[in-house]
Amino acid sequence: MSSEYSSPAPGAGTGPSGPRADFGTRLGAWLIDVVIVIVVEFVLAAVLGTVGRGLGIIISLGYYTYFEGSPSGQTVGKHLLNIRVIDFQTGGPLGYGKAALRWVGRIVSSIPCFLGYFWMLWDKEKQTWHDKIATTVVVPTSAYPVTAWPG
Amino acid sequence: MAVTLRASHVVELADVRIAGGVMLAAAAARPLVGSPGLPCPLRTLTGIPCPLCGMTTSVTDTVYLHLGHALAANPVGILAVVVAIVLLVNRRVQRVALPAWVLPVGLAAMWVFELFRFRVL
Repeated sequence: MSSEYSSPAPGAGTGPSGPRADFGTRLGAWLIDVVIVIVVEFVLAAVLGTVGRGLGIIISLGYYTYFEGSPSGQTVGKHLLNIRVIDFQTGGPLGYGKAALRWVGRIVSSIPCFLGYFWMLWDKEKQTWHDKIATTVVVPTSAYPVTAWPG
Repeated sequence: MAVTLRASHVVELADVRIAGGVMLAAAAARPLVGSPGLPCPLRTLTGIPCPLCGMTTSVTDTVYLHLGHALAANPVGILAVVVAIVLLVNRRVQRVALPAWVLPVGLAAMWVFELFRFRVL
């Protein structure tokens, strides 16, 4: 774990399992990221035509893997709304492998009418299905600070 | 203030309250902007509905008091609207403890309903 980042293990914080990012903040971050990815995909499709449209999945995978796999664990949306994704087991950055797995998990979360996203409303650790697949949690930076972005 | 119903699973209502508010706002706005709603990826890919299929229609119809259509699409949509309104009006309750079987049994019942509705069963 990088000493540059303060990453207390899950369990630290105000509650018995530590603070978790709330639904509204995660929804806001998700919307920001979706808009960014869609705009990039739209521009690529306009410039490159069919080839650009085919790059959409790669753009999305690359965006989430790079930003969430970075030491800060923050996409643009998460950065703007002061939340980050961390490894549930270590409390530190998840790394690029788990970030890619988390992106795949988003597909699983989306398949049954996005039930996997809404699961956080019921879950004790506020984990979505893609959080569970990648063993991650989303936390506020007020409790798990980031000193550099994307890191 | 917590409400206990032979408990085992505590649900924090702050998040549910926000989700409910967003749901009501989206449902109220949907006909005004002409949104068809998001298609179910599972049904699009396989033809098999998921437990939440019909919820967009059901919640929207409930908000506009077309309760018959809402009931036909997914009865839980009516329940979702009622719960969302109650939570927005009554902000004193912060968490509720529910039996752990409520969500899996509820989802299973919703799925059976949708499988019959789409004549898969």
